[in-house]
Amino acid sequence: MVVVPPLVVAVVLLAAWEAWVRLREVRAYILPPPSAVFEALRDDPTRYLEALGETLVSAVGGLVVASVIAFALAVVMAHSRVLERALYPPALLVKVTPIVAVYPLLLIWFGFGVWPRIAVAALITFFPMLVNAVVGLRAIDPRALDVMRVLDASRAQIFWRLRLPSSLPYVFAALRISVPLSLIGAVVAEFLSGSAGMGQLILQANGAFDTPTLFGAIFVLAAAGIGVTALVSYVESRVLDWHAASTAG
Amino acid sequence: MIESNAVSSPAGAPAVEVRGLSHAFDAPGGGLAVLSAVDLAIAPGEFVSLVGPSGCGKTTLLRAVAGLLAPSTGGVEVLGGTPRQAQRAHAYGLVAQDPGLLPWRSVHDNVRLGLELTGRQADVPALLGRVGLGGFERYRPGELSGGMRQRAALARALVHGPRLLLMDEPFGALDELSREAMRVELLRLWEAERITVLFVTHAVREAVLLSDRVVVMSPRPGRIVADIPVPLARPRSEASEDTPEFLALVARVRASLHAAHGSARAASTPGDAL
Ligand SMILES: Nc1ncnc2c1ncn2[C@@H]1O[C@H](COP(=O)(O)OP(=O)(O)O)[C@@H](O)[C@H]1O
Ligand SMILES: [Mg+2]
Repeated sequence: MVVVPPLVVAVVLLAAWEAWVRLREVRAYILPPPSAVFEALRDDPTRYLEALGETLVSAVGGLVVASVIAFALAVVMAHSRVLERALYPPALLVKVTPIVAVYPLLLIWFGFGVWPRIAVAALITFFPMLVNAVVGLRAIDPRALDVMRVLDASRAQIFWRLRLPSSLPYVFAALRISVPLSLIGAVVAEFLSGSAGMGQLILQANGAFDTPTLFGAIFVLAAAGIGVTALVSYVESRVLDWHAASTAG
Repeated sequence: MIESNAVSSPAGAPAVEVRGLSHAFDAPGGGLAVLSAVDLAIAPGEFVSLVGPSGCGKTTLLRAVAGLLAPSTGGVEVLGGTPRQAQRAHAYGLVAQDPGLLPWRSVHDNVRLGLELTGRQADVPALLGRVGLGGFERYRPGELSGGMRQRAALARALVHGPRLLLMDEPFGALDELSREAMRVELLRLWEAERITVLFVTHAVREAVLLSDRVVVMSPRPGRIVADIPVPLARPRSEASEDTPEFLALVARVRASLHAAHGSARAASTPGDAL
């Protein structure tokens, strides 16, 4: 089983951490032992799960919004070099502008609910989705394109039968990059608004010097990141079962 | 055995007519002249091979005939119209050295592509059987050998019943054994269907075995330097390769190739150019 070696490493690390904290008598608000972290998690699991739910809504919502907009834009850009050159600078602007600086604006535009947080997650994942989708939509086999053109295929036929499937490996590669980014975006937005999710939980625990809860939140976030990434990889392996075979040969 | 002369004699308008075609690609420091004043006519039902050294413009000429490339000067007429009209009439089948199959589709669905695009009907499994892929319908291209992929590409090119088959070194990437097998199978398929074929290769024996005519091109910029009829009896087979007529024709094509190569070299030597 592929999960055994990393699990062994995790157990060894946790044991070493526990031993070190106990032997050196490190104070709990600086570094709690893993046992205290797991106790905090066990004491009030719903607190973490509710916060995680809010964070996931922002992260996944942002990722979906970014993916849809980026892909639609990528279709336009992949079909026209002129439009690609015209649209690339504003897209790059979205990437390089510090989101923290834009957040007050997002609050003005989107109010104080979940939407500004979704917007942050969307802004942070937009660029990798866009760039990969454009590259993917262009990464078509020229021989296959010749065969289709010689049969008078329409642009729509070429898109659905050739461009879109060709782009999927790139889109999934971008998704694997964007999943952790979307979690970062959601938590940053929660820090800034201090009103929901894991970000708020971490701020509260921090204010109360409740370091075990802080660590608990970090553990939960890491697990969520791994979980969503694994989900993407699973879907990828089902959708792109042809890709491994065609690149291995 | 039947003489092939009846087939190569044009019955009406040529299937393909190339007139005064020259082409230059944009290149750093001026254009790269690739084809120079090419004239070529192919009769309906004729199998014509185009041989020439690599880089002489064979692919470029084939793409111009296919309507995939607009030549700098000169014209191409296909089945009495423009290449674009022939595309709209779904008159072409195209097979290149790299099969360009869609890796996410099964062999069956790759072959069906031509039907999806043209709206025609055909018995795909039967066609796959004819090209030697019976039983492999559900395989993906990544699961096939190079020879089998090329068979699938051939079936895809034939599925919508084209009137003109364009083949660009279709067996170039295959090992010698699959190459020989494919040759014989193409021969068998073509002798049954007699659709017009323009076949690019740099294998001289292959060209002579398959063709009614072998057209020889010079090194770049490609010109047609010889047009050699192949009056060997059909149906042909591997055994045809052992006849003295076959060997004489191969020698003739080789001689034209070497003559063209030699004169091109002489022309590019500064001393001789004066
Ligand atoms: N799209 C292109 N742009 C620039 N040069 C090209 C292009 N396609 C082919 N060439 C050049 O034109 C010449 C002839 O190419 P090609 O027709 O492929 O030759 P062949 O098929 O006979 O080997 C080569 O020197 C090649 O490098
Ligand atoms: Mg070529």
